[in-house]
Amino acid sequence: MNNPTEIKLAPLRKGLLEFVVLKIVGVESLYVPDILRRLANTEFATQEGTLYPLLSKLRREDLVQYEWRESETGPPRKYYRLTTAGEAQLATLDDYWTRINRTLAGLGRSMEVPS
Amino acid sequence: MKRVITASLNRNAFQFEDDAYARLEGWLADASARLQGDPDRAEILADLEQSVADKCTRRLPTGRTVITLDELVPALQEIGHVEAVESASSATAVAAGASAEHGATAGGAAPSASIALQQISQGAWISGVCLGLARSASIDATLVRVIALLLLFVTGGGLILLYGVLMLIIPFAPIDPAQPPMKALPAKCRAAIVYLRSKLSALSG
Repeated sequence: MNNPTEIKLAPLRKGLLEFVVLKIVGVESLYVPDILRRLANTEFATQEGTLYPLLSKLRREDLVQYEWRESETGPPRKYYRLTTAGEAQLATLDDYWTRINRTLAGLGRSMEVPS
Repeated sequence: MKRVITASLNRNAFQFEDDAYARLEGWLADASARLQGDPDRAEILADLEQSVADKCTRRLPTGRTVITLDELVPALQEIGHVEAVESASSATAVAAGASAEHGATAGGAAPSASIALQQISQGAWISGVCLGLARSASIDATLVRVIALLLLFVTGGGLILLYGVLMLIIPFAPIDPAQPPMKALPAKCRAAIVYLRSKLSALSG
């Protein structure tokens, strides 16, 4: 996996992880193992060592919040969901991502010469 | 026969064989160092402790109550390295050193002429000061230790004080997963110093 292309792609995925996490918790309240499972079979598969500090930062920025829920099998769990500010940020990111994609698609075509 | 150590993870008691305890202590000290400068460090560490506890107990065979390396090592692998997120506030040199991945020198602030002076916990006898000095000066660690022992006698124990001061001020090298884990004493020293530093920075800030 350590080929030159992969080395270039890794920071791209890392940068997008925040966006991806906002997207996932935007759908429903989830606790960390749920989030990890959702990401497990994707390009964004990650681990708790990365996710906890990231969620903490998102919470400091008031983009996500958590609530404690009792668990039948163990100690209470933190369930994360988006705040209103988080929803707004996700909408902005979604919009930006669509624009970037359109730009990329456009730049990939040859320049149209007006006849 | 192995010694069993009871430890509190996120305020619940768990029993570990002593080598598993030392490994976990080192891992947590490393995580703590990596999160230096993170305002939520205590909370993240509590989350991680809880996760370690969950994963270890899940792996314990029925009828067994003591956590060994057999349960701990895969649990830590599942959790992965603790990666600090980029913070807007300027992190300390220690945090920069700890988060620099396998970097030869610590942080941008350190002079790049030689290998930065760091305490090296893995392979250390006490806290890794001699090992760090040796690596920084590119000399044999045994030589540094022999000189230190001689100085210890010459100074009539005064070197112990100097060692303590050096422990407190020299940043720790990040834990290298490719290297054997640190022994119990260096792990204890590292955890104690990380704790002391956080208390000191809380006092000064």
